[in-house]
Amino acid sequence: MEVKVEGGDEFANASYEKICMSTFRDVGVRSSLDLVYMYCNPKEHVFIVAVKIGRVASPIKVGDITHREGETLRITNETYAPKLLALLWEMYGERVQQISRLEIGFKLEEKEVDELKELVVYDPREDLVARILDGIDRIIPEGARVRSTIPSTGRLTIIASENPIGDDWRIKAEELVSAYV
Amino acid sequence: MYKIMMFEGGVYKFNELKELIEDIGGFILQESVMQTETMLHLAFPEEEERVIRDKIKDLGGKFKELPLAGAEIVIIVPSLGKHHAVDPACDIAEFFRRKGAITNMLGLARGVGQRIAQMTAQEREIIEEFDAAVFVFGCFKECIEEKVRLCAMLDVPYMVVGGPSDLAVDHYVGGIGRKTDRMRRKGEIDILDDMTAELGKIVDDRRREIEEDPLAASPLFIKDMIEMVIPPKAGEELPIIIRLDGLRVNIEKEDLGRIREVEIGKKKLSEICDLKKSLFKGYLLKIRTEAVTGSIY
Repeated sequence: MEVKVEGGDEFANASYEKICMSTFRDVGVRSSLDLVYMYCNPKEHVFIVAVKIGRVASPIKVGDITHREGETLRITNETYAPKLLALLWEMYGERVQQISRLEIGFKLEEKEVDELKELVVYDPREDLVARILDGIDRIIPEGARVRSTIPSTGRLTIIASENPIGDDWRIKAEELVSAYV
Repeated sequence: MYKIMMFEGGVYKFNELKELIEDIGGFILQESVMQTETMLHLAFPEEEERVIRDKIKDLGGKFKELPLAGAEIVIIVPSLGKHHAVDPACDIAEFFRRKGAITNMLGLARGVGQRIAQMTAQEREIIEEFDAAVFVFGCFKECIEEKVRLCAMLDVPYMVVGGPSDLAVDHYVGGIGRKTDRMRRKGEIDILDDMTAELGKIVDDRRREIEEDPLAASPLFIKDMIEMVIPPKAGEELPIIIRLDGLRVNIEKEDLGRIREVEIGKKKLSEICDLKKSLFKGYLLKIRTEAVTGSIY
């Protein structure tokens, strides 16, 4: 993920570069973004954040995060354990039970077990935009509560300010963003 | 005037140090014994520093200056949201505590933004209860210059912490700004040290001001007298907080009468102190000056 911050002084630009990096890492979308561009104008209190969405990771299946041991499944990646259990209980009810922290017992037929391995536990595409928006919300200064978006495919642009956002800023944002993103 | 310092060392002949402090008219503010390690916050008359240092040398302990001891500081952030807390406000508070200060944190209700930033009358009153205030602002020069107006209306010494390094604001320390992780690198720790030194100057100025018109009795002495009448309950943390010109006492309403009657020399506490309910926590005791109350002996 490449980050470019412009408009503020040297210290502010460097700080916001770090903030962008760590915030998008925290919300787990860093690998799905190609470029982040931020423009800060503290004098007029206008902040523009634009992100270019890149390749998104493929869906996580039951087989990717578990390992079969006879009549049990051993969880190999605990991150998705709550989602996995919720999915299995919804699909098979009481026939699936959590034996221990990382062990899931099942009473299923062989055909069902094969189907089970192909079930999608989590698709990163599902909530990608929501997570990116959450990240942008954390980056933009808290006082800039008036928001305006510029719609386009593969790109997300948000203008934020504490004052009403006029058309002049929308046009300027479009120009700035299209030059980089 | 009393000097407050910290002793760290073993338990060997540790009681001798405690006795020495009592003999020279000093106080033990905080004591913590962890197996064979002990930590003491000591207050003693400034002129007796050599005697204490020699004793500590004999015991083989460590001696650390606490320039902010005896001061209650409030750290103010524009909000308690994820943009401003926990970093860097908690690192700043931690550094002040290491230098002996008692710290509290306050997030303003409407402190965010530039033009729209406000401070309510109640927030202002709460901030003015403390010995000094530290405002933690963000990265933009224009924003800090605009927000300094919030601090200017306060009737309490204050310091501003922000991002840009050069700013024409009184008691300003730059190089911090918005953070998303802990300040643990060498350069960042140096900035925190500078910031503590700057706050030390503010606190020293206030101490000098108080010394010019001395208080009727030292807050340390009053604390000792109160504890004789109302001993601290087991497990209660800091029931009495020492401030530069008084104390913050966390007591129940029914103990108020008893506290007013505490004898300080020949006078009662209510004769030498103004007692009022704090908007923040407990009761505030503001010690009147000796010029007003006369000698307590």
